[in-house]
Amino acid sequence: MAEAGQSGVGAMIDLSKCDGCKNLAVPKCVSVCREKNAANFPQPKEPIPLNFPLGTNEDWSKKKQLTNRLTPYNWTYVQNVKVTEKGKTAEVSIPRRCMHCDNPPCANLCPFGMQTKSQEGPVVIDKDGCLGGAKCRSVCPWQIPQRQAGVGVYMKLAPKYLGGGVMFKCDLCLDRIRKGEVPACVEACPQKAIHFGSKEAMRQLAHQRAQEISGYIYGEKENGGTSTFYVSPVSFKSIHKALMDHEVDGKNGRMGMKPLAENVLDSPEGMAKQMLFAPIAGIFAAGMVAYKTMKGAE
Amino acid sequence: MANPKKTVKRHCWSNLFTHWSVAISTIVLFISGFGQMPMYARYGFTKIPGFSWSGNYKITLNLHYAAAIVLIFAVTYHLAVSLMRKEFSLLPRRGDLRESWQIIKAMLGFGKEPESDKYLAEQRIAYLYIAVNVMILLITGIIKVLKNTDFYQPGASFIFWVSNIHNAATFALLFGVFGHLVAFVFKDNRKLLPGIFTGHICCEYAKHRHSKWYCTLDVPETTDQLPAVQGEILTVGD
Repeated sequence: MAEAGQSGVGAMIDLSKCDGCKNLAVPKCVSVCREKNAANFPQPKEPIPLNFPLGTNEDWSKKKQLTNRLTPYNWTYVQNVKVTEKGKTAEVSIPRRCMHCDNPPCANLCPFGMQTKSQEGPVVIDKDGCLGGAKCRSVCPWQIPQRQAGVGVYMKLAPKYLGGGVMFKCDLCLDRIRKGEVPACVEACPQKAIHFGSKEAMRQLAHQRAQEISGYIYGEKENGGTSTFYVSPVSFKSIHKALMDHEVDGKNGRMGMKPLAENVLDSPEGMAKQMLFAPIAGIFAAGMVAYKTMKGAE
Repeated sequence: MANPKKTVKRHCWSNLFTHWSVAISTIVLFISGFGQMPMYARYGFTKIPGFSWSGNYKITLNLHYAAAIVLIFAVTYHLAVSLMRKEFSLLPRRGDLRESWQIIKAMLGFGKEPESDKYLAEQRIAYLYIAVNVMILLITGIIKVLKNTDFYQPGASFIFWVSNIHNAATFALLFGVFGHLVAFVFKDNRKLLPGIFTGHICCEYAKHRHSKWYCTLDVPETTDQLPAVQGEILTVGD
């Protein structure tokens, strides 16, 4: 039974236990995620329009079988990478999906308010209203949300000229959480490498496990804090470097794990505070001008 | 015969400051806001040499916040100074809609234009329209800024309405600014243009078109050296 607690739910992913289900064609967390969410996958109708004026679109409907990256049809995947640290090489398997950040830039910066952080903690996309601008992907440090063209409300407006589809990503099985169940990937993991519970409990578990294995934690401070805590016996600096050098479909570094990844909302936060002082400054300046007017200076 | 070089002061520096700080910050807010929509990458503007920055959300977000600070300062300054100096000549009055229609008809060559005060009836209506939209944008914008912090996470439905009211008011304001600029297509309005750059407009024009206001100014008929009257300093143009 999942308990959200005051800070919502969270997960701890123990990379010392995850073996990437090497004995299976598709890791178990990936296959159950696909089964569980199949009804939510996009079903575009042909022909899928090309966006004016660039003449491009993002269509994954003919690559539904891909499981080695995130797509609108694959909301979690496992990265297998060889990491060299202190002269030793270790093979690390990393389940990747939305981290469900504490202050998610994807949700906060959606111009149409179609992405929100739920009370329980998972960040969810309203696929009925999303226009597929993909800004959420650009502001995510891990480029998690994936776009499918040819579906969504933009098809009812001006498909060639406005929008580009709908964004899709993991919602941490929010429907299951609301029923008191755990996410499908947690339940299916044969190594019990993915733990689920209240975020604070998962944070404590991550620290406890990191202490046990003299390991490292990722997700606690990244992007301003997330609801997903990875624990690894090798440092994430080394993992990030290995991921950046690692080829996926002939391309380098699809999705890294940069330590202390910055939240795009951090830089304007100072200006947000200045915004509070702007009205005070305006009234003060007006008072000075009005005083001078009364004195006949103007 | 009237001296065509003679000018009358229509705007003090405080009004010019308010107008231009609101105008420039609003233009920057439009540019950065459309970047946040997101539009520039979608329509290929980022591929234009020198415009690749427009697709960088961090840059456009910081620009949006910076311009919002200027706008908030300018709006509160304007409201406070207007209240303190009791300057309400831009507020709409009873009958302004009818009078605006008469002015538009007269500009198109139908009928006689009614006598106007310091501002035309249509300018007072435009001011209200723009002011209401700016206030909606400021209120919804401040809520959006608060939402972007760690401290405040409102519900999904509230975020939806705030975001889309902000978007709708943006387009309404854009329409208003467009209308404000299109007004200068009409030759009759063009003599008002120098006023918003220098503060002064042609005395003869003011006498002809803003006769109600002109009557309140003690303008000597025979000399170019004009005294200051009721806070409106009359000067001679170049």
